[in-house]
Amino acid sequence: MIKIKHFIQQSWLLIVASFCFGLLIAVANAALSERIEQNRIDKLNRLTRALLPEAENFIALDTEIEIESTRRGKKEKVKVYKAVSEDECVGWSFNVAGSGFADKIELVIAVDKDFQKLAGFDILASNETPGFGDQIKYDYFRDQFKGAPAEELALVKTGEGNPRKIDSEIVAITGATVSSEAVIEIINNSITQIKNQMQDKRLIGNDK
Amino acid sequence: MTNKSEANAGLYKDTLLAGLWRENPVFRLLLGMCPTLAVTAAVKPALTMGLCVIFVLLCSNIVVSLMRNLLKPHLRILMFTLTIATFVTIADLFLKAFQPEMSEVLGPYVPLIIVNCIIICRAEACASKNPLVVSIIDALGMGAGFTVTLCVLAGVRELLSTGKIFEAQVMPDWFVPWAAMSMPVGAFITLGLLLGLVNAVSKKLATKAQRKEK
Repeated sequence: MIKIKHFIQQSWLLIVASFCFGLLIAVANAALSERIEQNRIDKLNRLTRALLPEAENFIALDTEIEIESTRRGKKEKVKVYKAVSEDECVGWSFNVAGSGFADKIELVIAVDKDFQKLAGFDILASNETPGFGDQIKYDYFRDQFKGAPAEELALVKTGEGNPRKIDSEIVAITGATVSSEAVIEIINNSITQIKNQMQDKRLIGNDK
Repeated sequence: MTNKSEANAGLYKDTLLAGLWRENPVFRLLLGMCPTLAVTAAVKPALTMGLCVIFVLLCSNIVVSLMRNLLKPHLRILMFTLTIATFVTIADLFLKAFQPEMSEVLGPYVPLIIVNCIIICRAEACASKNPLVVSIIDALGMGAGFTVTLCVLAGVRELLSTGKIFEAQVMPDWFVPWAAMSMPVGAFITLGLLLGLVNAVSKKLATKAQRKEK
């Protein structure tokens, strides 16, 4: 009994303060969480809309699509969105992540409605070296993906390929830049797996 | 009565100025080096960081000062951390809601304000021993000192790494940006040079003051 009294005497302030502070955070969270979620959705929509300009709306797919990540062979869930315009599917977009040079790279990738061609990609989050690796954000690099076939992409060194030619060959930022390799790896790893699963689930036509 | 209020005014002014120069948290106390080095690649994130720190410092100093007579000595650090963590979480939520871009740029460095030494140092050294008004002024002085320092550092780095300040072009066309300045190496070099400069200036001021006394 004395022990409990001693405990309360010593720590009543801590207990009361924890309760008050917890309440304060709960109130702030309740007031702001909706807006934070909306910001996230807005950003995603803005990026995806730039990739699929004809789309009017994006509907998150209910079906679960899982891909195996490259490093640890872990299964990861992928959010796939259907881009629609006047009730017609005009394309698909999905968010995938993989390791970059310094940190995780999160991409949003868009493809056309038959999963034949890439509509492009954009970066949701990355922390690549400024001036070098972060050139994956630049148009000259990203434009190579617009219209490229939605299959395994190959990376070639600068000078060996033509960056303006749209094919499955992507010209790297430099031969030794990890970031451009990382982007190709993320796309290669996800695109076939997602395509196959969506074909299995009859969400897109079978092209075989 | 006038004497007392005059003494008070002197104390307030002293406390406010201490944070800006004499006890500047970054240049003189060398506290809070992690955000100083990490978020000063451009002025905008540095300013946002500084404002967040001012908010947290002000709130935690107020709360700690109000409960300073109730604190148990062996539980005080726990109480400080709890208070700071609460306000940092609130600041983080606000940034995410109203400044999502800045929140992304600052990333983990906003939650890391919890372990920023400046705030714990001010709670321990000032707020837990002083009345409310002094604690508030101390928080404002220290916070402003931190923010100004961060902005100076960020200004130098942004100017040299992109030729811009606050995202507005200032350098002439022929200027070749130094990409290294926006990387960690630029942070260390700039901080080192600025620390040297501040030390040199304060040494000079000290000798001047000594000469005057003689």
